[in-house]
Amino acid sequence: MPPALATTDDLRPKATPPKPRPWWRSLLGAQESGLILVILFMMLALTLGGGTKPQRTIFPLAPGDTFTSTLVSGTSDTYTLAITRADGSTQNLQSSSRPREAGASDGTRSLSITRQVNAFLDPANLILVLKDASFIAVIAVGMTAVIILGGIDLSVGSIYALAAICGAVLLNAMQGQLVAATPTLPAHRSGWMPDASVFLAVPLGLMVCTLVGGLCGLANGSMVVGLRVHPFVITLGMMAALRGVTILIPKELMGEQSVGGFPPSYQDGFFRADIAGVQPVPIFFMLIVALVGWFILSRTVFGRRTYAIGGNETAARYAGVPVGRVKILVYTIVGALAGLSGAMYIGYFGAAETGAGGGYELQVIAATVIGGASLSGGRGTAIGAILGAILVRLIDSGMVILRIPQDYNQIVMGAAIILAVVVDQAKSGLSKGKRG
Amino acid sequence: MNSGRRNFLNFSLGAGLLTLATLLAACGNNTAPTNTPGSTGGNNNTGGARPRYQIGIIAKSSSNPVFLAARQGAMDAGRALGAEMNCDVEVIWKTPNSEDAQAQAQYVEQLSSQGVDGIAISCTDANVVTPAINDAVENGVTVVTFDSDASESRRMAYYGVDDHAAGAKVMELLAAQLNGEGVVAVLAGNQAAPNLQARVAGVQEEAAKHDAISIIDVYYHGETASEAAAKMQQVQTANPQITGWALVGGWPLYTNNALDGIHEHAKVVSMDPLELPLNYMIAGQVQALVGQPYYDWGYESVRLILNKVHNDIAPASPRVTVAPDVVDTPAAAEALKGRWSQWLSGASEATGG
Repeated sequence: MPPALATTDDLRPKATPPKPRPWWRSLLGAQESGLILVILFMMLALTLGGGTKPQRTIFPLAPGDTFTSTLVSGTSDTYTLAITRADGSTQNLQSSSRPREAGASDGTRSLSITRQVNAFLDPANLILVLKDASFIAVIAVGMTAVIILGGIDLSVGSIYALAAICGAVLLNAMQGQLVAATPTLPAHRSGWMPDASVFLAVPLGLMVCTLVGGLCGLANGSMVVGLRVHPFVITLGMMAALRGVTILIPKELMGEQSVGGFPPSYQDGFFRADIAGVQPVPIFFMLIVALVGWFILSRTVFGRRTYAIGGNETAARYAGVPVGRVKILVYTIVGALAGLSGAMYIGYFGAAETGAGGGYELQVIAATVIGGASLSGGRGTAIGAILGAILVRLIDSGMVILRIPQDYNQIVMGAAIILAVVVDQAKSGLSKGKRG
Repeated sequence: MNSGRRNFLNFSLGAGLLTLATLLAACGNNTAPTNTPGSTGGNNNTGGARPRYQIGIIAKSSSNPVFLAARQGAMDAGRALGAEMNCDVEVIWKTPNSEDAQAQAQYVEQLSSQGVDGIAISCTDANVVTPAINDAVENGVTVVTFDSDASESRRMAYYGVDDHAAGAKVMELLAAQLNGEGVVAVLAGNQAAPNLQARVAGVQEEAAKHDAISIIDVYYHGETASEAAAKMQQVQTANPQITGWALVGGWPLYTNNALDGIHEHAKVVSMDPLELPLNYMIAGQVQALVGQPYYDWGYESVRLILNKVHNDIAPASPRVTVAPDVVDTPAAAEALKGRWSQWLSGASEATGG
């Protein structure tokens, strides 16, 4: 049987399927790869160089409980400890420092014993770094979008404070003051919804703060677009004006400069909820905002329009991008995120004060720029902003762990910001060279 | 982009930061107490069972000279009391650059997480820092407040002056200068600050004891030297009958010529005998200054903490208040100026507070 004739398909060169990139090359190729490596290296350095710290365990002592401690011979700071309970039972323990009673003004007694753990790689410390970063990071995601546009928002610190104060006034009114019992009435709270459930207090608090922030952002965006004034000027003015409103509200309503007294469900029941010994709720908010921010900026038409405006506003306008509408929306979003961060702040710290968020604008911009956003517009990512905020807090935490005098803190922070931006520019230069 | 070059750049960046971090690690001392500007070491002898304590100091603002004096006091206390009690004491200064209650709360958490034995804090806002203080106490940390209290928290003690008494002292000294008669204006800073309000109340109550003294008004202003000086000039010009000024804070006296056109017509008594206000007193433009125990804020707070953690002795009362210091002669002003130079230069006091 004659061999079958070759078809044209057979004569075409066979296309070989692309070889999948190994995971580590994908990671190194990502825009945030440099930052991830920096963070990993810093974590490594802090783990190795941070030494150990005492981790305390507290044993409550009931009335009548006693304890004795003995230095283990041949050691300088290891003690054996025997707690004798009032019922006669004995508990034997070991401590890496002299066991002692902890002090509290309410008369409760407790015994503190310690064991040495790594100063940095302690889960409680890692959670603390991420939690501290979360307040800045949530706003930094919005600021990244503003900076991608080629804009700036200097009012985020004031929006944060105003939203927090408004949320605090609402939550305080819900809870009210404790009214002592009278012959006809038992002790009760004077608020319109005292001890509200978590399902009521949290959505209300979040809604009010985010709404106030969003409205401030809307005002910023509308003025930037409508008045055609540089956003630096508009948001600088708003920074001062909103701070003034923030001071005025609690002063006029309550004669105070700080507002606390919220339903317990808002603070201990949610934002300060203890999960496995740590309080990670603000971190969950940060992660959610990061994911949503990443999706919007990289996977939606709105996100692409934002990059297009920052890359070349005139070209974007000719291409039919509704520049004004996108700008107003972006400023509204950063305002809403500042408000959300304000809601997290009052939830975690349990009060709002009129000076809150002072200087936040610079911390947020620093996190955004470290995260790879270009102040000339057109570049930046939500994930980068989060990583930038984490790096800022990591440096701050590192200063404590390495016991570097605080006087050097600002120098190190400034050097880190300049280094990150210079390296980022160098990366961009290489990238342009390749394209050219 | 050439991925080889990019990877090289990434690794270079990482290596650079690692070097920086390692250098930082080398600069920092994480194995023994130090004598660097940010921390005070006692005796580094760690042999035997000599205990070692870490105490964090969180003031309101690291740019305010009164807290630099407190810092020096804490450093000196670390050295002197460490030697006295035969223990090693490391004092860690952790204070925001400007007043920021949230940063203070975060510092309490950081220090507590690092396992310090005690924290002394001057609270910018009691409401905001109270949960962090309570968590730290629960974690076994002994907390003392100084200057500004968080009375609802579980802190062990508060150390400072009674603001109401300090305000009353200002008015008492002014009344003496006015021979019991005159028209007095009160300069009061921020209307919302509770400690200032307590001082104003003290001034008013003391003034009420003198029939021939009337208070024309209480004047509020932004707490900057220029705004305070401008307010004084404006009020004195509009009310030439004013013969006395009670300043519950020293804001206008941080300039050089705040009292031009005022000291010729009115006696002035102020809070805060800092370096610049003392110059006014030496020049005869201010008749008396009422101060707080700035250096002892640090020194005594460290003493309270060490007494608890080392000797297991708590103060008899959770409020350790002291009488305000009075500077009412040029010689006393000169002497205090010398101490300020010492505190602000970081030199320790021979007498140890």
